[in-house]
Amino acid sequence: MAESPELSIREPPTVLVPVRVLEGQSLSETLVEFLAPADVVVLGYHVLPEQTPTEQASMQFEERARTAVADIADVFETAGDAVETRVAFTHDRDQTVERVAGEVGATAVLLPNPAGDIEEVLVALRGVINTDRLADLVATLVAGGERVTVWGLGGDGFDAATAVAAARETLLDRGLSGDQLRTETTATETPVYDIIDRSPEFDAIVMGEGGETLLTQLFGDDAERVAEGAVAPVLVVRAAPEPPE
Amino acid sequence: MGTVDESGAVGENVNRDGDAPQVVGATTVTDETTVTEEGTELERSIGLVGGLSIGVGTMIGAGIFVFPGLAAGRAGPAAAGSFAIGAVIALLVALPASELATAMPKSGGGYYFISRALGALPGAVVGISIWLGLVFATAFYLVGFGNYAAAVLAEAGVPVAGVPVVVPLALVFGVALTALNLFGTENAATLQNYVVGLLLAILVVFLGYGGLDAVGVFGTPSTPEEFLPFGPFPVFSTAALVFTSYLGFAQVATVAGDIKQPGRNLPLAMVGSVLLVGALYVATIFVATSVFGSNPLSRFGETAIVEVARALGGSTGAIAILLAGLLATISSANASVLSTSRAVFAISKDALIPRGASRMNLAYGTPHVALAMAGGPVLVLVALGEVEVLAEVASFLHLIMYGLICVALVAMRRDEPAWYDPDFRVPAYPLVAGLGAVASFGLIAFMQPLSRRIGLVIMLVAAGWYKYYADDVALKGVL
Repeated sequence: MAESPELSIREPPTVLVPVRVLEGQSLSETLVEFLAPADVVVLGYHVLPEQTPTEQASMQFEERARTAVADIADVFETAGDAVETRVAFTHDRDQTVERVAGEVGATAVLLPNPAGDIEEVLVALRGVINTDRLADLVATLVAGGERVTVWGLGGDGFDAATAVAAARETLLDRGLSGDQLRTETTATETPVYDIIDRSPEFDAIVMGEGGETLLTQLFGDDAERVAEGAVAPVLVVRAAPEPPE
Repeated sequence: MGTVDESGAVGENVNRDGDAPQVVGATTVTDETTVTEEGTELERSIGLVGGLSIGVGTMIGAGIFVFPGLAAGRAGPAAAGSFAIGAVIALLVALPASELATAMPKSGGGYYFISRALGALPGAVVGISIWLGLVFATAFYLVGFGNYAAAVLAEAGVPVAGVPVVVPLALVFGVALTALNLFGTENAATLQNYVVGLLLAILVVFLGYGGLDAVGVFGTPSTPEEFLPFGPFPVFSTAALVFTSYLGFAQVATVAGDIKQPGRNLPLAMVGSVLLVGALYVATIFVATSVFGSNPLSRFGETAIVEVARALGGSTGAIAILLAGLLATISSANASVLSTSRAVFAISKDALIPRGASRMNLAYGTPHVALAMAGGPVLVLVALGEVEVLAEVASFLHLIMYGLICVALVAMRRDEPAWYDPDFRVPAYPLVAGLGAVASFGLIAFMQPLSRRIGLVIMLVAAGWYKYYADDVALKGVL
């Protein structure tokens, strides 16, 4: 089915948008507009220290959290996209995001950052990534004509040139125009720093999850480090297979 | 205050402040979350290891660091049997508690089961007295910490002789612990895992070396002395004495709302922590009586285990075991503060005490009122002294709760409500719960009359409070 040429988007991508809702984190309107073509699931969450029962927090703050999430959903609806909302109280942010992402079959998870007008999108390839999912996501989001740079960061046995060529091929298949798309490759051992260095040139970053290593255990995974260092919002394409059904 | 005039008119199920129990309504419990009526998800984030470390961390301590000398003096090497009997009794309560916890995986533990199965009055008595009982126990652990910290300083050659450092050390640590729980965004429960892990590592090395030594791997094997020098009866009476060292396994149930896969992990954590701690206690008695024989051991009294460690490993051994004692008091105190604040939350949610007690503070995300209600009285008690009597009062109150948990299981099974669907069912429940209740209430007979009187007064005051404040609140069968 994925082969059929007239079906340019293989499946509608789902983007999970986790928001630290009680800490007043919000999404800029331009980011909402950028994401609106995808199926969006807004996850409002609040992280508690382990000495606080989640039930206790929900008793006191459930209404407030639900209202805040509903407000964010309204912004998406104004931009023309009905969204699903979830509200969660947790002791462990990653566990909750991972669980909900699995349950809704998310293509990608957003790591929010402030965003201006989104015109330049960076697709950073620095390891194995599900090219079909990546292409579904990017092709859906940039249907408005945003420019896409596919940048392969090679090194450590990762053949960047091949990955970039494959990504370019799939993106063109999905309906991107040739002049929307640029590609480049760099050989590097420090892809995270390189991406952060160049991030001011771009308005949004798309990248893969990357594997777990000792380094990611210590410093958080690559995408989180990019999101911390860069000014742009980061979309992390999930590696995990979709749930059955 | 002064606004009681309306309460008669308001009618049923409210307390003096006009608050009704906050019943969360149709919640759905899954392996990973609890989902409230409105659809908000409450993530479960404590795994089996976390559950075990709360159970083991609360319990471990007295059986190794207080009782070996006393128990060996009374029952000889058969004191190991006394600890085994204690473990069996603990299991008789842990099994019913496990079943109830899998049916009602909510914060509050024993209080929650009893209030739902037996009604609001027994619930209020248990809930309020367990809050106070945990406060007493925490004060006792803090003083224990002070003692061990002073001993470590002395052993390490710091000149503290003549200076009363125990209470100041206990107070400083108590303040630090409360502050950690109040302001700590880094998790107090994760700290618990590390403390318990390090403690277990020290004990396993110590008991392993001591055990090999006793059977003669190093040097000559020790001559086994007569196993039952005083006959079988003292084995049972000593079991009553040392049962204190098993109090705490039910604390796992106070965090039941946060445990992943509750149907599997709650029973495993409760039963597993009793078995693990029981095995360590039995091994400790075996090693201690092999090194010294029960007579000299009993003369060392409460510091017997330090002398055993000194005999086995010299000054290093003594410092290692003192450090282990220090860690044991830290883990017990920390686990108790955690479960106290959950106990306060549970009774406040049910409108048995003013709602304000369950307020939390958004900046730190911690239940500051409940933590203050745990930490504040603890510091006062430590400063005033007299914690030993209070520790026994705490044991008394725990035993009442354990007995009532067994009764609650029978009550639940007698007429099972439609919602009662535990993942784990106690086999032969009338026998297990019956024996558990008889053993729990029976052990009270072995306590000092003073502790029993104080405990009884606390229960009566709790009942009086319920009659005054929350007489109209009904909780039986309300999930």
